[in-house]
Amino acid sequence: MKVFGTLGRVVLGVGMAVILWGAFLYAHPAESFVGESSRIVFFHVPMAWIAALAFLLAAGHSALYLKTRQIERDDAAASAARLGILFCFLATVTGSIFAKVMWNSYWNWDPRETSIVLLLLVYGAYLGLRQAIEEPERRATLSAAYALVAFATVPFLMFAVPRMYASLHPDTVINARGKVEMSPDIKLVFFTSMTAFTALFAWMYALDVEATRLVRRLEERAAGGNAA
Amino acid sequence: MRLVAEKLCRSFGPRKIFGPLSFATSPGKVLGVAGANGSGKTTLVRTLVGLIRPSSGSVWLEDESLPASRISVRESNGSIGWCAPDLALYGELTPSENLEFFARVSGRPIPREEAERRIAEVGLDPKRLRTIRTRFLSTGQRQRIKLAYAVLGSPAVLFLDEPGSNLDEAGHRAVEAIVTAQRNRGSVVLATNDPLELALADERVTL
Amino acid sequence: MILRAAAAVFVKDLRTEWRTRVALNALLLFAFSVLILVGYAVGPTRLSLEDRPVVNSVLLWIVLFFSAMTGLSRAFVNEEETGTASALRLSAPPAAVFLGKLLSNLALLGVVMAFVVPLFLALMSFGIAAPGLFLAILVFGAIGLASASTFIAAIVAKTAAKGALFAVLATPLLLPPLVAAVTGTRVAATEPDLAAGLDAVRLLFAFDGIMITASFLLFDAVWRE
Repeated sequence: MKVFGTLGRVVLGVGMAVILWGAFLYAHPAESFVGESSRIVFFHVPMAWIAALAFLLAAGHSALYLKTRQIERDDAAASAARLGILFCFLATVTGSIFAKVMWNSYWNWDPRETSIVLLLLVYGAYLGLRQAIEEPERRATLSAAYALVAFATVPFLMFAVPRMYASLHPDTVINARGKVEMSPDIKLVFFTSMTAFTALFAWMYALDVEATRLVRRLEERAAGGNAA
Repeated sequence: MRLVAEKLCRSFGPRKIFGPLSFATSPGKVLGVAGANGSGKTTLVRTLVGLIRPSSGSVWLEDESLPASRISVRESNGSIGWCAPDLALYGELTPSENLEFFARVSGRPIPREEAERRIAEVGLDPKRLRTIRTRFLSTGQRQRIKLAYAVLGSPAVLFLDEPGSNLDEAGHRAVEAIVTAQRNRGSVVLATNDPLELALADERVTL
Repeated sequence: MILRAAAAVFVKDLRTEWRTRVALNALLLFAFSVLILVGYAVGPTRLSLEDRPVVNSVLLWIVLFFSAMTGLSRAFVNEEETGTASALRLSAPPAAVFLGKLLSNLALLGVVMAFVVPLFLALMSFGIAAPGLFLAILVFGAIGLASASTFIAAIVAKTAAKGALFAVLATPLLLPPLVAAVTGTRVAATEPDLAAGLDAVRLLFAFDGIMITASFLLFDAVWRE
């Protein structure tokens, strides 16, 4: 199976270049932010969004694995969790850099910082669990159960933790008044960036799932089993 | 009740253990499972009793008068009994406490006298074992208690995996007595390498 | 039927535990050593008055958390290691096994808490202004610790690493309730008013509810793997 075709990859590559140009040269810095720091929104928010999307996918595929017992569901959940950790980490780093510029401190236990660290811990533990189990079906079942229990407690943590410390985090993209408040040029670059990064994630995800599938087929062939 | 297996397969990852196998037990009959060491007898029996999920194919219990009545082995709750080398009872409980415990969790509690009667049935002296925890028993004595555990719920299908291991001559006769008694109640699946035990089988599956 | 079977599992666990006292002794010895360490190293007077409630609350829950991590995995690890899990799996309904194990873990943790908490309060001269709130935090905190530990123990019992993995898997799940328990304990130490700590109790209650529900739904898959 060919993932994404040549045209798709060219479009994706050009798109990412356009976003770099748009983020640093086209869009104007937003008001009420220190210097040029608002430009990080074009990268930080897509990272956080993709991390959330990836963890949602991981939980969804875990639930489907327990229902259908198709090992491909487990591959998909594992790939999503791996990429989720990567993007979660990038969101943490970009957020931390922004915090340094805005509030002169890399880390101040802002509720969002706290919850993102917890997400990293949870999915790090998930991958640790996967490594500790040799047998594929057992690994799939146990890690799916863990992912789902973790996923059930994550929303709780999102609501619970923010009350413990006051938040410094700027309004989320869609603010409390239910509107997107951005100047037109920022809005344009921002939503292009969201789309492009989501496409990038989709490509990486498809590649990772495909790679896992190929590894499994190689293993089956090596064991002399009937590779499907 | 009879046990039916259809195209049953099990592999661990890429490694295939057994299958595809199709067979059925019939009431009053003993189905022997033969095969060299490492041929997957124990895995097959564990799959049949529902401790291992089959990789493909299925296994179920059905009432022979009602062919449509499929019950999954897992939901059968008490219709099966199992004795195997990898079965262990609680070492810190006395033999009769073990039997009482397993009877209670399966929803059919038995009084102490009944548990002791079951212990006597497998040729042990319940009075002498009253204060002895299971882990202090000899391997052969423990094997007999495991046999008593297997027939505890008067199962419709009894699974015996190497039932004669560690047993003396009298122990082997106890196994034979259990198999004979089970013929009146249902069927037996007997996995063994012992030719004497295999001689009890009416039909045979070879792995 | 489920409740009766769960009670049987609970009684069986208590009886075997009472005959060996392995988990209980390990837990109590561990808790006692840490108490001595904390009592000696930090002590009642070394902290300034305003720091006391916060630091003592944190220390108390750290002691309880690590005690839970040392002993509560035995619930399932022991069954799998001695091979009794198969017999239990065949005989008992999964929900009853989970409930019974949860109760026996809760009992074990209860004994440890009954030992640790008064000693800690005495050693650290840690005064509690709202004992009712404190008790509620302890009870709901214990239920949270025990339910998450029981479920995670069922998972790690099926892996090769077992003990090493137990804390790794349990910690991220337990951080939010622990933060709530620490906050609640601090409030109970300083504010005589019950209402002030209600937020923490509510959080713990919500966590316990979610954790127990999710565990019941998923335990079947884990237990029968």
